[in-house]
Amino acid sequence: MDNKGLSLTGGPYWLVLVLVSSLLLCKNVASVPTCPRGAVNCEVPLGELFDRAVVLSDYLHKLSSEMFREFNKQYAQERRFITRAINGCHTSSIPTPEDKEQAQNMPHEDLLNLILRVLRSWNEPLYHLVTEVRAMREASDTQKALGTQETFAMQEALSTQEALTTQEALTTQEALTTQEALTTQEALSMQEALRTQGTPNDILSRAIEIEDRNKQLLEGMEKIINQVQHGVRRNEAPSPWLGLQFLQKADEDTRLFALYGLIHCLRRDSHKIDNYLKVLKCRIIYDSNC
Amino acid sequence: MSNSSAVSSRTQPPSWPELPLAISSKPVLPAIIALGPAIPAVLNRASQSLQIVNPGPLTNSSGRPQFTKCRSPELETFSCYWTDGVHHGFGSPGAVQLFYIRRNTQEWTQEWKECPDYVSAGENSCYFNASYTSIWVPYCIKLTNNGGTVDQKCFSVEEIVQPDPPTGLNWTLLNTSLTGIHADIQVRWEPPSNADVQKGWIVLEYELQYKEINETQWKMMDPVLSTSVPVYSLRLDKEYEVRVRCRQRNSEKYGEFSEVLYVTLPQMSPVPCEEDFRFPWFLIIIFGMFGLTVIFLFVFSKQQRIKMLLLPPVPVPKIKGIDPDLFKEGKLEEVNTILAIHDNYKPEFYNDDSWVEFIELDIDDPDEKTEGSDTDRLLSHDHQKLLNILGAKDDDSGRTSCYDPDILEADFQASDVGDGTSEVAQPQRLKGEADLLCLDMKNQNNPPGRDAPPAAGEPGVILAEESKARPLPLSETESAPHAAHAPLHSPSPLANIDFYAQVSDITPAGSVVLSPGQRNKAGIPQCDAHPEVASLCQPNFITDSAYFCEADAKKCIPVAPHVEVAARGEPSFNQEDIYITTESLTTTAPRAGTAGPAPGSAMPVPDYTSIHIVQSPQGLVLNATALPRPDKEFLSSCGYVSTDQLNNIMP
Repeated sequence: MDNKGLSLTGGPYWLVLVLVSSLLLCKNVASVPTCPRGAVNCEVPLGELFDRAVVLSDYLHKLSSEMFREFNKQYAQERRFITRAINGCHTSSIPTPEDKEQAQNMPHEDLLNLILRVLRSWNEPLYHLVTEVRAMREASDTQKALGTQETFAMQEALSTQEALTTQEALTTQEALTTQEALTTQEALSMQEALRTQGTPNDILSRAIEIEDRNKQLLEGMEKIINQVQHGVRRNEAPSPWLGLQFLQKADEDTRLFALYGLIHCLRRDSHKIDNYLKVLKCRIIYDSNC
Repeated sequence: MSNSSAVSSRTQPPSWPELPLAISSKPVLPAIIALGPAIPAVLNRASQSLQIVNPGPLTNSSGRPQFTKCRSPELETFSCYWTDGVHHGFGSPGAVQLFYIRRNTQEWTQEWKECPDYVSAGENSCYFNASYTSIWVPYCIKLTNNGGTVDQKCFSVEEIVQPDPPTGLNWTLLNTSLTGIHADIQVRWEPPSNADVQKGWIVLEYELQYKEINETQWKMMDPVLSTSVPVYSLRLDKEYEVRVRCRQRNSEKYGEFSEVLYVTLPQMSPVPCEEDFRFPWFLIIIFGMFGLTVIFLFVFSKQQRIKMLLLPPVPVPKIKGIDPDLFKEGKLEEVNTILAIHDNYKPEFYNDDSWVEFIELDIDDPDEKTEGSDTDRLLSHDHQKLLNILGAKDDDSGRTSCYDPDILEADFQASDVGDGTSEVAQPQRLKGEADLLCLDMKNQNNPPGRDAPPAAGEPGVILAEESKARPLPLSETESAPHAAHAPLHSPSPLANIDFYAQVSDITPAGSVVLSPGQRNKAGIPQCDAHPEVASLCQPNFITDSAYFCEADAKKCIPVAPHVEVAARGEPSFNQEDIYITTESLTTTAPRAGTAGPAPGSAMPVPDYTSIHIVQSPQGLVLNATALPRPDKEFLSSCGYVSTDQLNNIMP
């Protein structure tokens, strides 16, 4: 096209072309359009699913670390458990990669399925963790109140229980709404929401939050696997947890020990899952170039 | 790998029970619990021994070699360091060895292995390279000196991550402020080279610290995930130091600080700027003087105009109809009359009086308001119209605050103009009464009657056009004929009852019996006929009380011909009648065959008349006996008595 044509007639077309091409070039691979609300068969792009999954796993790891720290401070300080090393986690039986090389050599689907297995294995222990921590909280609350009057103590215990149930209801509700958001919101905004939400600041609320987010992440992982494996599902059994009997022992020390081990394992596994997901995200979406 | 097999094949670290207890200060716990498939085995073995190791930093007071720390910089390798206790002369300087053991998915390895590399990490260290490092796997290491364990430690690699410092710090100028004093810069750096952030294996968090060169305290910024961060509001004439450190995401321990970056900002204008914030005294003085001037002007200015200019008066709702001068002069009756315009105002002595009922009604239809007087409506057969009577509407539908503001204001202005006495208000009232009494006034929207005000020469009160009920003071019903010069036209049955007629009785039938008001009753227009009636009345009695004696008022009432009485008598027993006056009752009493007071149109029946016989449905027969009147004063202020007076009267 000669200059004349460019200036007179081709100008606007060139401009449009330049704009469109710049948009395409600058467009990030991950920023693909989201599913419109209410769409039935819409498939959220994989990049977004991964982004959200990574946000969730990061948050889970953060909560687990904080919970472990808090637990240490509150209960384990005098006892100084050494369970770190002795402890095998109930998920140890699942053959997960143990270093970078192994993780990189493992194919996507295998790794994803392993993540799914680990997540599923934690459903039951988390439930019991919440129950046990709540019982401990109530016991300590009642114990404090018993210093004054007995009736007053009972009242306080009841109100605490009430508060806890409402708190749980709220968090569950919140989890449901964020579940919806999982299908329509972008990962960054979700991360922002998690950050500005006001993180729970004690062991029980963290435990409850972890339980909810774990379920969310599980759902997200299933979606990812559906997309990656195109519907082929391997139903591998999760690893069972046999520590319930120790959580329910009458001896407080035993219980605390069991809890300590459980929370320690939770931190480890959440770190593991977080790592795997980030590696997978960089591998699949960004082509190993985060 | 099934769980059951794992249970059976699980073995404990063979030398575990041999590991000596480290310095422990607390009593042992009775059990160690391992949450895993091998729980029974663990419990059996370790039921007696409890490992409690003081995790805090150990002082090297004993002279033994001790672990100082173990560290993994990138989650791929790790190294452990210890102190050498040889200098304290603890035995012979034997070889210090490190042994480790780690747990493979389900079980511990069989034996302790020695450190693969004592060299790479420096002296008194052990370096585990990538092939020896497994993440998320428990390790235990022990330090031996001449075969004897001196220290041990257990950990997982992901717990001991402390990255290397970031590299390649540099800064760029973002912008400078307009004043040339401050500037913003952007600091950039690179993650440590050994950390594999590109593949996402490790995620790092950075913390930037900066300070002026001659300061001692570092200013810290919040941790960020990105490798560049803006630093705002640096002063241009100062030099700054910047350093960055990083840690693994969601970890606690930071790595070492990077090298310090020196930031020298370019000098801007040579004009020396004020360093300190000077309190703007000058401005304060100026504004203070201005304010004071305004205040003085306002306070000391006698001129109303300036005051209005500076502080315009806030419009307040005016309660129209009450001249404040009235309050000053102490004419409470006037105030009462005026206030009585408002429906809500009820004089106190009515509260205990169960005889009197106040009909509060809403006026919905503007058309209806204009037709017929209120009395007319009261007496009319149309019960519907009852609703539109006498109501001062309470809503705010477009009307001004007072009920009839224009009227009353005009009235009062006129009255003010006129005499300035309370008497002036009266003619207007009287005139209004005339309007009321003249039944058809409303019907015909006829203001001619009002065009001829009796005394004050005030402008006509356009009442009919007001789409309200009569707000006029209603007490002086009897004085109506005083202003009866208003022409009356079409009569209405049972008309010409006073606007406020006291209810004496209620018949069993439900009709209301009014105390006798005006003599002129049904059928015949009265208003036009008797201007001379005015002469009979004396206006002065009006001034005494707001409510008048019937006896007094009767003077003003022209004598009605017999016909009227008769005519009135019939309808009075009509079931449709709303009002039955005692007079009508008494006139028809002989008809009913009961003994009663002789019919006399001029006979004053007291307002409160006791019922002699109740003969339903013929009605009531009243005792003609008047109430005892102890004092004359009662007479003069009779009609509507106060509660006290009533109590005096009644047995």
